[in-house]
Amino acid sequence: MMKRRELIQRASFLVGGTLSTQVTSALLGEVTNTGASVTVTKAMSQLLAEVADVIIPQTDTVGAKEAGAHEFIIRLMRDCHTLEPQKKFYAGLERIDQRSKAAYQKAFVAISRPEQIEIIKTTAEQDRGYFKQFKNFTQIGYFTSELGCTQNLRYMPIPGRFEGDVPYEKGQGIIMNSR
Amino acid sequence: MANLNTTAQKDHTYDAIVIGSGVSGGYAAKELTEKGLKVLMLERGRMLNHITDYEAAMKDPWEFNYNGKLTVEQRERSPKLARDYPYNEMTADYWFRDQDSMYVEKKRFDWYRPDIVGGKSIMWGRQCYRFSDLDFEANAKDGYGVDWPIRYKDIAPWYSYVEKFAGISGEALGLPHLPDSEFLPPMEMTFVEKEVRKRIEKNYPGRHMTIGRVANLSAAKEEQMGVGRGKCQHRNRCQWGCPFGAYFSTQSATLPAASATGNLTLRPDSIVRELLFDKDKQRASGVSVIDSQTNEEREYFAKIVFVCASTVGTAAILLNSISDRFPNGFGNDSGELGHNLMDHHFRAGARGTWEGGEDRYIYGHRPNGIYIPRFANVGEDKRDFLRGFGYQGGGLRGNWRQSVAELSFGEEFKNAVTEPGPWSMGIGGFGETLPYHENRMWLDRDNLDKWGIPVVAFDAEFRENEKKMREAMKNDAAEMLESAGLKNVRTFDGDSFPGTAIHEMGTARMGRDPETSVCNGQNQVHAAKNVFLTDGACMTSVSCVNPSLTFMALTARAADFAVTEMKKGDL
Repeated sequence: MMKRRELIQRASFLVGGTLSTQVTSALLGEVTNTGASVTVTKAMSQLLAEVADVIIPQTDTVGAKEAGAHEFIIRLMRDCHTLEPQKKFYAGLERIDQRSKAAYQKAFVAISRPEQIEIIKTTAEQDRGYFKQFKNFTQIGYFTSELGCTQNLRYMPIPGRFEGDVPYEKGQGIIMNSR
Repeated sequence: MANLNTTAQKDHTYDAIVIGSGVSGGYAAKELTEKGLKVLMLERGRMLNHITDYEAAMKDPWEFNYNGKLTVEQRERSPKLARDYPYNEMTADYWFRDQDSMYVEKKRFDWYRPDIVGGKSIMWGRQCYRFSDLDFEANAKDGYGVDWPIRYKDIAPWYSYVEKFAGISGEALGLPHLPDSEFLPPMEMTFVEKEVRKRIEKNYPGRHMTIGRVANLSAAKEEQMGVGRGKCQHRNRCQWGCPFGAYFSTQSATLPAASATGNLTLRPDSIVRELLFDKDKQRASGVSVIDSQTNEEREYFAKIVFVCASTVGTAAILLNSISDRFPNGFGNDSGELGHNLMDHHFRAGARGTWEGGEDRYIYGHRPNGIYIPRFANVGEDKRDFLRGFGYQGGGLRGNWRQSVAELSFGEEFKNAVTEPGPWSMGIGGFGETLPYHENRMWLDRDNLDKWGIPVVAFDAEFRENEKKMREAMKNDAAEMLESAGLKNVRTFDGDSFPGTAIHEMGTARMGRDPETSVCNGQNQVHAAKNVFLTDGACMTSVSCVNPSLTFMALTARAADFAVTEMKKGDL
């Protein structure tokens, strides 16, 4: 970790300290889709975070909720999708909540984790297309988040060299560069 | 502009004007300034400062908003650009927005047009291969197009010359039809690539697989360090701009060299409307320019003009330069200007997975892949189509994007997706397109852009020969990969339209005969000898190899010729 920070600082020095002028807008989630959007309520956001966290739960590394994968998904839906696909996406989320209410008479966020897992299992079977889309968005949001990336992958922004054929032992992890 | 006073005219007069600042324009500026000429380089795009303006280059993944995806607004603003990957979150600001760069498509043409100093030298794929006499003799042998006025021996020393400066990493093979460059050390192949190479070369005598030849500094020599360039850090984020100057671009290489002479004036935001023609001298006297920001019009004058505005841009400027002498466009006595538009067709090939090698992996990120030189229609390998193709590709293990057991989720999924996936390898062909007179671009004079300049229209398509070749590109790929031991081999044939490969060429071709070509073997416009066309526009045929290295070599050669002629008093 220290090593990586040092590298980045060195690189930052090289480029004259003018790194990431758009970081602020990324963090604040600047709105760049001026068309109509689905309004995402706090409850929807919590539900989304919870579903993502069932797909990538906390283990010895953070889960999707703590990594903020849902923030990526909300931003991606709002800014990169027109109204119709947005509606479809959030309707799928609503269906997950309905399944929970039908099975346990409670909202998805209020049931136990084993119960949540059952609901997502059902969703994967009965609502396959939606499940795959959600899982894919979660995967991207999670592994490109700071915690998801740095705790699970070998993030190498400046490897300095390339070797094409080195020994690998299970558990060493995937090398990641940027995207 | 008629009442420019003499002082102003003097202020606006240079030895040479270079239109465009990409691979070719940058090279022209370097060569001409180093030979002592006062040069004005005009670029219609905005200034992009080396290193400090590469905004995406040093960001971490979590500092991007959309993992590369475009916003609705970006797609709506540039619907044509948004059809393919080069326009994405990280590079969106490097391209002209469609609304500022309208064009008409009779058939789909992907026109990727940079909006920056450096042009496509910033976003290019950096693959560098020499043409050979297999390419220079192709038109003469099968009768398509006209004969090249040059042969390999004419350009070979110029390849060497530019390669030493640009820095090309690669492996020497000694093949006559894919001549070796002056190489920096080759990058390493991955485990699966090495395995596949062994088997292909054993199973198919005469076929080769090598590491890509790429304009990234695997080692920095004096020529490169002298202009401030550093060694490749193996980040594989090249297209966003390299803060280490490790790949060849105008900003990393030719611009610092040209600037160091003190002879260069660079004007961004300068749209060339037309070339000015001096009918007494039968030469170009200069150019008229619109400032894209202020709409102010100016004229600049010079003894010679290098038009390096890109294949389509160069032809568009010439077509828009109308005079009594050239009613159909500057230097267009032949009527060929805008015709013979070519691009490589690509994205046809095969991929498969490798069983085993779980104990092998990579370190770092290689900004490069593998290359399989052309073998079709080479020697005894005769086909039912003309010309040939080379393959580019690579073999890697699955990364964090991999899909594992599609309905899995939870801890099991998380553990599986964070381990490198199986090795897989894919190769896709880059095929030569024939020079068809019917494939063309022209100016739609009823349709003006926001600066009042007629927009470009396209009517080009891949035809029977290309379609037949694509079948071979798929089948040969599948056959080779299968014989190399890959499993689950599947062919693919993806979107490939003229322009998609961004190797467009041919709109103002070289030739010996002024009646059938636009410029001669020294890249001079036949009918106005002080105008040189040295970008993709001049290409008489396109080979199947990536062309930028050839643009560099032709440009350096033409610059040398131009200055020699000037010294003799002939220009």
